[in-house]
Amino acid sequence: MWGTEWPRFEVIKQDTQHSPPQMVGSVHAADPEHALLVARHVFVRRPAAYALFVAPAEAFFHVSQEGLKDLAPRREGGPEEAYWVFAKRSHRRSMVYGDLVGRFLAQGPEDAIAQALLQAQGVAFWAVPERLVVGTEPTEEVVESWFAPAKDKRYRLQSYYGLITAKGVEDA
Amino acid sequence: MVKLRIGYPEDPDYGERLAEFEARIARGEKIEPGDWMPAEYRRQLIRMISQHAHSEWVGMLPEGAWIPRAPSLRRKLILLAKVQDEAGHGQYLYHAAETLGITREEMVAALLSGKAKYSNIFNYPTLTWADVGIIGWLVDGMAIKNQTMLAQCSYGPYSRAMVRICAEETFHHKQGKEAVLLYAKGSRKQRQMVQDALNRWWWPTLMMAGPHDTDSPHTPLLLRWGIKTKTNDQVRQEFLNEHVPELLEAGLRIPDPHLRYDEKTGNWIHGPIPWDEFWKVINGEGPMNRQRLLARRRAHEEGRWVREALEAYAQRQLAQAAD
Repeated sequence: MWGTEWPRFEVIKQDTQHSPPQMVGSVHAADPEHALLVARHVFVRRPAAYALFVAPAEAFFHVSQEGLKDLAPRREGGPEEAYWVFAKRSHRRSMVYGDLVGRFLAQGPEDAIAQALLQAQGVAFWAVPERLVVGTEPTEEVVESWFAPAKDKRYRLQSYYGLITAKGVEDA
Repeated sequence: MVKLRIGYPEDPDYGERLAEFEARIARGEKIEPGDWMPAEYRRQLIRMISQHAHSEWVGMLPEGAWIPRAPSLRRKLILLAKVQDEAGHGQYLYHAAETLGITREEMVAALLSGKAKYSNIFNYPTLTWADVGIIGWLVDGMAIKNQTMLAQCSYGPYSRAMVRICAEETFHHKQGKEAVLLYAKGSRKQRQMVQDALNRWWWPTLMMAGPHDTDSPHTPLLLRWGIKTKTNDQVRQEFLNEHVPELLEAGLRIPDPHLRYDEKTGNWIHGPIPWDEFWKVINGEGPMNRQRLLARRRAHEEGRWVREALEAYAQRQLAQAAD
C-alpha cells in the first residue's frame, strides 16, 4: 500500500523465570530486533516480565479444535528439527492464548504437535521452528534494563486502588 | 500461517456447517482463526473490530491535546500513560482484526480515506481540562460497559484483546472519576468547569452505546453468533444505573429534564436522545470530524520516513545476511 508493509511477528511473553512462555499477541516490525522493541512497548507497559520472544507469524503452524481430529503427522524418516509447541488449554476468558508445552524434535510441525498431544491437552495448538524464535537474553543485565522499569511501576490490579467515591475524594 | 475457512450460503454443506458452528457458540466455545466460520460472521467482526481499533487510534487526539497543558505533573503523567494505553489498545485490536485476513494497511487506508467509521464521541472538542476528567469517567465508563460485554464474545482474538483492554480502561475510569469528583467539590470556578463539561458530554456519551435496539439492524445476528452478548439498550441502561447516582451524589446536574428513577424496575430512565445529532456527526458533520482525520493523515505522512528508514535497514540486514 505504501511500500512499507512490515511482516507480523507473534509475541511470546514469559512473566517470571519459572513460568511458561505464553503467546500474547502480535506486532508488525521490520525485523526480529525491532519486533522485540515494539513488543515491549505494547505488551510490557505495566506488567512484569522476565523474557520476550518473537517469531514470524507466517512460520507458525496452527491447529484449531476443529482441525485436531484431522491432524495427520508425517514421519517419513526425514531430518528432524526442534519445534516449540504451544497449547490453548480451555475456552476460559483470558488475555493469553498458547502456553508453551515444550520443545520437540520433529520432522514437521504436525509431528511436533502430535508429540505434544501425548503430554498435554488443549483446544488449539501452535508449532514454530525453534531456529526462527528470537528472544531477549536471560542475563541479569538484560532483564534489568528491559523489564525493571515496568516492574518499578508497582503494577497492581486496578481493584487494589479501591472504590473512588465522592466522600473518599472529599476526605483525601 | 493460519488458513481461513470461510463458508458461504451457496456452499453445499453450508447449512450443516452453520449448525455445527452455532452449536459450538451455544456451548461457550471460542471460535479461533483457523475454524470454519460463515462469511457474514467474518465480515461483521472485521467491521466491528476495525471500527473499534480506529476509535482507539483517533481517541488519542482529544485528550492528547491536553498533555502539554495538564495542570500538574501528576495529572500529566497520568494522561501520558492513558494516551499511550489507547495507542496500545489500537495495536491489540488491529492485530485481532488481522487474524480474519484483512491487513492493517487496508484498515488504515479505509480510516484515512474517510471510508471507515470510528466512535462518534471523538468528533467532539475538548474545550477545558475538565473534559479530560469527564472523558475518563463517563466516556471510558460507557466504553468499559461495552468492552466487558465484548470480552465474552465468541471470537477468541477479539475476546482476548478486550480482556487486556478492560484491565487498563478500568484505571482510566478511576482517574477520570477521581478528577471529576475533586473538581465537583472544588472552587466555584472548578465546579462550573466540570458542570459545563458534563453538559456537553452527556448526550454524546449515551449515544456511544449505539442506536436503540429497535433501530439496530445488526444486533439480532450479532447476538445469535455471540459477537455481542447484550443489546445497545442493555449496555446503555447498565451505564445509567451505575453513573447517574454517583454524578448526583457529587452534586452535579445531569442535563436531562426527563431523567427519572423507575422504582418498579430499579432503572434510571433517560429522556429522548438527540439522534439527529448522532446521525449528523456519523455522516461527517460533527464539530471535529475534519480536524480528526486531518491530524491522522498528517501523522501518517510525517511518520513515513521512519517506516521507510526501518524498511531500508531491514533490507540491508537481509542482504548482509545473504552475503
